[in-house]
Amino acid sequence: MSWARPVSGVIVTLHLVALALYGLATALTLAPFMGFRPAPRVLTIAIPCAGAAVHVVAVSQLTLVGLGPALSMLALCLVLLQLASERLLRGSAVSFFAAPLATGLVGLALLSGLAPGAETVGARNTWFVLHVALSALGLALMALAFIAAALYLLQFRELKARRFGQIFQLFPPLERLDQLNRVALVAGFPALTLGVLLALGYGAQFSGGLHVAKAQLVWGIFTWVVLGWAVWVRVVRHWAGRRAALASIAGFGAVLLVYVALKLTQPGAERFL
Amino acid sequence: MTTGHMEMGIKVVGVNHRTAPLDVRERFAHGAHEVPGALARVMAAGASGGVLLSTCNRTEFYLVADDEPALEAVWSLLGERLSSTPSGGAREYGYIARDRDAVRHLYRVSSGLDSIILGESQIQGQVREAWEASRAQAGPVLHRLFQTALHVGSRVRTETGLGMGTASAASAGVAVAGKIFGDLAGRRALILGAGDMAELAATCLSDQGVQITLVANRTQERARAIAERLGGKAVSLDEAWPHFATTDIALCSTAAPHAVVTWERVGTIIGARRGKPLCILDLAMPRDVDPAIAQLENVFLYDVDDLQTVAAQATARRRDEIPAAERIVEDETDLFWAWYGGLGVVPTIKELRARMDDVRATEVERVLRQLDHLSPADRAQVEQFSQALLNKFLHQPTIALKKAAEEGRGYGLLEAVRRLFGMEPPA
Repeated sequence: MSWARPVSGVIVTLHLVALALYGLATALTLAPFMGFRPAPRVLTIAIPCAGAAVHVVAVSQLTLVGLGPALSMLALCLVLLQLASERLLRGSAVSFFAAPLATGLVGLALLSGLAPGAETVGARNTWFVLHVALSALGLALMALAFIAAALYLLQFRELKARRFGQIFQLFPPLERLDQLNRVALVAGFPALTLGVLLALGYGAQFSGGLHVAKAQLVWGIFTWVVLGWAVWVRVVRHWAGRRAALASIAGFGAVLLVYVALKLTQPGAERFL
Repeated sequence: MTTGHMEMGIKVVGVNHRTAPLDVRERFAHGAHEVPGALARVMAAGASGGVLLSTCNRTEFYLVADDEPALEAVWSLLGERLSSTPSGGAREYGYIARDRDAVRHLYRVSSGLDSIILGESQIQGQVREAWEASRAQAGPVLHRLFQTALHVGSRVRTETGLGMGTASAASAGVAVAGKIFGDLAGRRALILGAGDMAELAATCLSDQGVQITLVANRTQERARAIAERLGGKAVSLDEAWPHFATTDIALCSTAAPHAVVTWERVGTIIGARRGKPLCILDLAMPRDVDPAIAQLENVFLYDVDDLQTVAAQATARRRDEIPAAERIVEDETDLFWAWYGGLGVVPTIKELRARMDDVRATEVERVLRQLDHLSPADRAQVEQFSQALLNKFLHQPTIALKKAAEEGRGYGLLEAVRRLFGMEPPA
């Protein structure tokens, strides 16, 4: 049994390298909005790819318990989804939000410490790793849906207002963003559901191995319900376009707010919550 | 753009996309049927030649006239079209260019250098149409000016890259629709109007895989021709309104003098689309679509100004060609000015001298008949004296004409000389 085991220098170094690469990718992404020439597309893809590669190595060595490792995992999922969605959208618009968000998450992970939280018994168990990975993927997909929704609303506003500036030029078409929002939600819900189910299965098999706080349970279920609602209004109620985008943003905002509220009432980095 | 000459010369008076907003330009726009009447009015005020160029971006009177009152007549004519007259009248939105500046202006216009969409080619046809519509009133100078303007436009397009790429309002419409729908293949479009612009824009959409379902027009014959070519169905305008419930793109380019796509006609129909986006491209001048329609949440309405703004962004690389195009314009302006400056001066001077010499000879002969006693030597003296006197009299007018020709003001002065001495107007 290890308790507050110090994290290896390699993991921190790899995270710092990933952070630098994500930071550089963010700067390249935002350059056109600051009046600079857009960077060559090969660079805007290669740099986050390199960052993700380094990040994968770093995460593979992490014990996925605690706030820092959870944030790192979430950032990695987000970057991987960003790269995948750029292929779908044939543009780099998602990175306008995803790149700074991933950079911020890695930075936060480093600040809050990458050492595992209090208990690590069973933390290397496949069910647990899968639970964390799928939950992080579900959350990252929810974040991607939020990003697509935000891009949609910004592009929508520009198109309605007949402004043809950088947003009009650089952001993808409305229908493609709407499609990305739908795909992210529809893929995110089963991922998060599996993550929750795996947590339940893990709990049943290794009862007493990892302590699950009530706040964690409340937030996990709340997130699952919100994501389920967002999928329901899209798939069953056929919401689309601006209304669906607003729903995604409201849902993600609520999840974030509840997280912050719970975190404030139960501070500490031992667990992700 | 002014030089301050007050005699008869080439002038351009008008408004364009830089000086007047769309709703003002709409009011100043003249249909082909209105051109002769408008020009007749300006010419009645003293212009000796006139061409009216009226497009969606500009309404310009090209005149051979004195500054006043012909220019005043233009402002008055345009001012009558304003619903609320600003303090400066129509001239608040306009400009005047004179002489060489006016020539350069037209050459820049016909080259596409003065267009919102840099280097766009449509203006070349519009200059030709304006010239042809005003042929009866243009007069020799403006005939020559417009003829050469078309030549300059062709030179710029063939000798520089100013016209490269697609940067028309129609292609901008495709780009905007693409920002709404992404892939346009399989989208449905209905076309209102069957003019050249409607056909051009419909072709652009069709090239992107858009399915042209309907072509609606007041007269069915032309609509049928376009519909057959693009695979749609020709209908009347009234039959088109229900289709606003299902179409993805509505392209409007009728010649109607007022909005035809109104809230009353399509508001409820579009409202029933359940949030499905509708892209309306209004390429008409005056606009076909009531701007209130854009208030519907999922309606994206774009008029000519919007699309030209988009197209203008796509023409950034054409900017590199501006210096080469401007050089051609300048060279051609020099050539025209040389022609205009010397226009008829030499023949006029010759004719003037011949006329005066006839008068002199007749008078000398009459005097000498009465002076029989003069010796042949004295007669020769009288003859010589009369010729010297004539030369003295004609010296100053000849010098003034040549100087005016060198300065490009020959035409105005020549006309004055011809009037004063009762000669035929220059050909």
